Formats: sequence, C-alpha cells, structure tokens
Amino acid sequence: MSIYIEKIAQISIQSPLSDEWMRDPIYPTQRHCRFICPDFKQFLSPATSRRMGTLLKCALTSAFNCVKEENRTQLDGIFTGSGLGCIENTEKFLTSMLENNEQSLSPTNFIQSTHNTIGSQIAIAFQCHGYNITFSHRGLSFDSALMNALLKFKLNEIHSALVNASDEMSDAYFKLFDHTGYWKKSICTTDDFKHAISSGSFAGENSVSFLLTDKKAEHTLCEIGDIELFHTPSDKELIDRTTRFLSSYQLTLNDIDTVVLGHNGDVENDEEYNRISNLLVPHARKVIYKHIFGESFTMSAMGVYVGATCINQQHIPSHLLLQEGSTGHHKPTNILVVNHFKKIDYSITLLRSC
Amino acid sequence: MAEKIVVTGYGIISSLGIGVDKTKEALLKEERFIGKVLHLQTEHTDIPCGEVKESDDELRRHLGINSDYIVTRTPLLAMTALKEALQTSGITDSTNTAFINGTTVGGMEKSELYYNEFFNGKHTEYITAHDCGAGTEQVGQLFGHFSFMTTISTACSSAANSIILGADLIKAGKVDAAIVGGTESLSKFHLNGFNSLMILEHEACRPFDKNNQGLNLGEGAAFLVIEKESNAKKRGAHILCELAGYANTCDAFHQTATSAESTGAYLAMSKALQNAGLKTSDIDYINAHGTGTEDNDIHESIALKKVFGENIPPFSSTKSYTGHTTSAAGAVESVISIIALLNNFMPANIGFSEPIDATGLKPITHTTKKQLNTIMTNSFGFGGNDSSCIFSKYQVS
Repeated sequence: MSIYIEKIAQISIQSPLSDEWMRDPIYPTQRHCRFICPDFKQFLSPATSRRMGTLLKCALTSAFNCVKEENRTQLDGIFTGSGLGCIENTEKFLTSMLENNEQSLSPTNFIQSTHNTIGSQIAIAFQCHGYNITFSHRGLSFDSALMNALLKFKLNEIHSALVNASDEMSDAYFKLFDHTGYWKKSICTTDDFKHAISSGSFAGENSVSFLLTDKKAEHTLCEIGDIELFHTPSDKELIDRTTRFLSSYQLTLNDIDTVVLGHNGDVENDEEYNRISNLLVPHARKVIYKHIFGESFTMSAMGVYVGATCINQQHIPSHLLLQEGSTGHHKPTNILVVNHFKKIDYSITLLRSC
Repeated sequence: MAEKIVVTGYGIISSLGIGVDKTKEALLKEERFIGKVLHLQTEHTDIPCGEVKESDDELRRHLGINSDYIVTRTPLLAMTALKEALQTSGITDSTNTAFINGTTVGGMEKSELYYNEFFNGKHTEYITAHDCGAGTEQVGQLFGHFSFMTTISTACSSAANSIILGADLIKAGKVDAAIVGGTESLSKFHLNGFNSLMILEHEACRPFDKNNQGLNLGEGAAFLVIEKESNAKKRGAHILCELAGYANTCDAFHQTATSAESTGAYLAMSKALQNAGLKTSDIDYINAHGTGTEDNDIHESIALKKVFGENIPPFSSTKSYTGHTTSAAGAVESVISIIALLNNFMPANIGFSEPIDATGLKPITHTTKKQLNTIMTNSFGFGGNDSSCIFSKYQVS
C-alpha cells in the first residue's frame, strides 16, 4: 500500500500558508520568534477567534487550509502532536490559581489547557467522529502522531488522515527554558547551525497540518513511506531497523539521495545529527531547516514538510544545504527525515517522489 | 483471522492501595478510599479525593529509588504499577517492545509548587520534568530498553488510547509486545480546574445517582503487558485474558460537554463490539466511565441504551471506589475489570440509591458473584475523546 502527502499547510515564523521560505526565507532577528499569523478573519468566524488563543487559531487555520470543506466530515482520523499543549492557557490558569489562592477561578483557560484541545477543536470544526488522538512526547510528539496515522493506514482502517503538529512558546516558558539552557544567549546566525560551537538554539513556533491519503491525486506532494521510532538505539539497531524498513520499499540506504536533519545550533545536538547521518547515509545531501524555523518539541514536522516540498518542487534551495556547493545535479527522489531528541528518542521517516 | 492479543501482566496503584491483591480485596469488601487529602497542598481541603496513601518518599522506598532522585509524583505512581505489571508478566526482554504511557498532568504537581521560583532560576530540574513525555522517559528507562516509547495525552481517555495503540502496533507486526497504560497524580491545577467547572462532589461520589453532585478526583496508575498470543506462548507466559476489541472515536461536539445524541460514546462502544466481532449479548458486565457528573452519567446512559437497547448488561462505575483517576482511568479500570473477569464478580457502584429521572438506569449496587466471560470498559475524555475496550477470558487457540 502507498500512502501520500496530498497537502501541507503551515503557520510558523515564516510567511504563513505559503512556501515562500523556499525562495525567500526570513532569518531570525530575535532569540524568541513568535508565529507570523495569517489574517484569521479569512478562515475563522469572529466568535471562534474570540474564544481561542493564538495556537488554536493557527491549528484550525492550518487544518482548514489542508482539507477542503467537502472532505472534512469524511476524514477518517485526526492525529495531533504537541509537546507542551496549549501552554499559554495552562499558564493563565496556573497564574490565576496561584495569585488568587485557588479562589474564584474562571474555567475558560482550564478547559482549553489540555493537550488534546487542539485535536478535538479540529474534530469539532470538521464534525469528524473518526479516530482522534494526541501525543505529547517531547521531541517525538509529532513523529508519534505520524507513526499512529501510518499504522492505521497499514491496518487498512483509514483512507485519509489529518496529522497536525502544534507548539507555541509563551514568553513565560521561553524564560523558564532559558534557565535550563535551551536557548542561546545571542541571536542565532546560519553559521551557528552549520558549525555549532556552543549550546542552545532559538525558539520557534509551529502549527502544521498534513493531509495523508492512500490515493494519488493531481497535486499530491510525495509518497510517505513509513516512520520508525527508536529509543536510545545502538548504531547497529539504527542501521538494522532502517535497512529493514527501507527494504519493504525495495530500497537500500544507498538509494537515499537526501537526508533532512534537525541541526538546531546546539553543538551536542548537531554533532549527533552529523554522526548518525554519516553512519546511515554518508553519501546523501544534508538539508537543514531549523535555522529558519527555530526549535520546538514538534519542529520535526517542519522537517517532513521541508522534505516533501523539496521533492514536490524537485529542487533544494542552497540556503537549506548544510554544506555549501553540495547541491549536485540530481533531483531529490528518496529522502530520509532524521530526528532525535537529546540523543534519547529518534525517528526516521521515508519520503519518496511519486 | 488475525492472531489474538493477550494480556500477560497487570499492575495497579490507586487509593485502594498498591497492587492487584489489595485492589481485589477492596472491591470485594466494597471498601472505598475517598476522603481528605493528606499529600496535596491545597486550600480546598473540604473536597474529598481518592488520594494514594503513600507519600512520594514512601513510593521511592517501595521502588528502591534514592531519596535524592528527581522525579515527580506522576512517574512515581507509574513506576509502582509498572513494576507489578512486569513482574506478573515475567517479561524480561524488552527489545521488541513498545512502552506507551498516558498522562496529562505530567510534572504539573511540582510546577505549581515551584512556578514562581522557576523564574529566579530555582528548581530548574522540575522545569524539564514538566512536560508529559519527561515522566514517561524516566519510567521507561528504569525498566528496560524498549524499542521505542511515547506518551498519549487525550485527557481522561489517555490510558485507554495507549492500550489501543499498543494493540494496533502488535496487530501490524511492529512489535511483539507492548507495555500500555497511564498515570496521573492529583494536582492543584486540575483540582481547581474541575472545581471551577463546578463538577466536584463534596461527598463521596455516587455515579448514576440522581442526587449525586459531581465527581471526586482520584490518582493512580495502571499498566498492562499485552502481546501476541504466539509470543506469550513461546516464552511460556501465564495468559490472564484476551484483549478482544477496542475503538477510539470522537464526539466532535464540545470541549467539555457531550452531544445530546452521545455520538462519541455510542460509536466507541458499538465500534469496539464490531472490532471484537461480538454481539451486544456477549457482554456480561460493563465498567462504565461513570464519573458522577450529570453530563457524563446521563449521556453514557443514553449511549448504553442506544447500543444495548432493552438488554443493557449489568454495569457499575468503580470511580465510586477510586475517584476519577483521569488520564490513568482507562488503565486503572481495565485492571479492575480484568480482576473482576478473572475472579467472576461484578464490583459495586457504591452509594447508588436513586436512578436519574431521564434515563432510569440502575447500576449494580453491591459486589456480586457472576460467571463472567466478556466485559467492556469505557473511557471518555474532555474534547470528546471517547474509547472503549473489551476483554475476554482466554480460550486456547
């Protein structure tokens, strides 16, 4: 069975709902970059907009832009990944609880604080009663949601799926994570991503929706093979399991022409990407994306988006290449998107031209 | 026909105590533990909860963990239940095994304590312990080298959905076995959240009773070891029961209210039956979601009527024993259901006296002996994330 990415819609720190970053990326000018929001009025009713925080508005807008109105109720499943959930609503309720000594609290922020608010609000907007799930597992939150969607296709239980990855970074959480060394003390330059020498990254925000189907359509972006998740794998396990899953697509590691890597400017993080990409696919072109999208728990979704867009446009812009001049003449055909979170959890996703 | 998925291990901690035996004893004696909180530092001491009696330090000692090891209560509860689940299953090799945990509170119970100090750079270890996945990693790493691990957060159906994902992974041949379940500690955050929604009962709850005023929050964790039948047989494991069927659906109506037609709950139960290839008459007992809120109890009753018609199987809500253990509930109640199944009894819906006018359904009021072969357990969550699981006595293939 083949599964395809039919459409992707993203809102992030790049121009919303567009692939403009391919030609004209916006580079970070701050340590903490917030969503560039589209004109929500075009997509959401004033009542909906009033009720919802930015993250939910972005998630609904990306979902609306991904699935045509006539197909929404027929969607077989909604799979969401969010590392922190609706953290701004969580913070508002928490702060108010602490300030008011647990008295006279309004439930609104609590209601919209749970991680599954995103997936269920999309289901409500779509009137979709199918499988609905939310994963919140650090850097593998999106990857888990994607894995679950592909699993349901393989079990022949679904024929279409919306996979959404949403994370916001509130001002307060930015400060908290600053104390844990998540962020660099200065504004990141692209050079920090290509030759990291210090720790930390810069904060981005993202809400990206993928429409997956088991039928190829006119504007299908690419085929999505499978995703393998790992936990503290040995090199042998990484190679063996990747080789095994590629073989089910009649591919070997040698067939991989491009690898999408999550370099985020943190020296330890980036060295691990260099190490495993050299271990698995030393010959492949190395593409990076977090230098323009920033870091979040679900930023790996942007890696899949970048890979799918490059396959679809049959072009890899030079600003995405880890090594200058490595562009080569061949077009991207078989891409692996590699993700790891602090050298603990790993995922490898196969994208193919179709 | 697809290979059976069997349960070979189970472990539980709740206000009823640590372990399957203590839980069984309480269920048989109709002893519930809902009362004043001892460990949770809240202003609302008048609100009764099903709090786990052991303090964090006592749980650490039970687990043989150093007192200076940084861990929040949610993963500590999980570790306690997981330890028992692994022991009962006798599983030692976790290489081709997934670990799937369900939680929503995550490290909130410490974040709410230290939040203001976090900004001064204090207790930063609990900043990184806040997110749901942080605890899962700590739990998983303590117990083995899993093929992979992940965390599901669909509020009160989180643990049920982790059971479902584990089963699907086994069905698809992705793993041979999965450790599935969920964990949740009490937190001021969600106690106040539910309180602000005005759905907390100030007495011990009586689900499905017309005069009941809401739910009691509880805490706990439970895990199951599920695997392919052939895998269990190969390693000579004792098979407890079968996971016969399951379904995950969405009400798609409102973040906290249920649709008038109870679409999500109806679909969860009927699709689970379909998935198991069973008729409604095959279900001997239902462990209802039965939170004690008017919204849930009326709508779950409506859905039960829609699915089972005039012949609704005997049912009860064991939240009357443990309180609502939220993200852990799906696993806590699966373990309770399996205990009931294996020991042929139906646990009481404690405190019930008068049925709700609109639906008139009466749950089991006393723990009753009955030959059970197949049981259903419901888990419905915020956002309309509704799931049902069906367990059957094991029959050798």
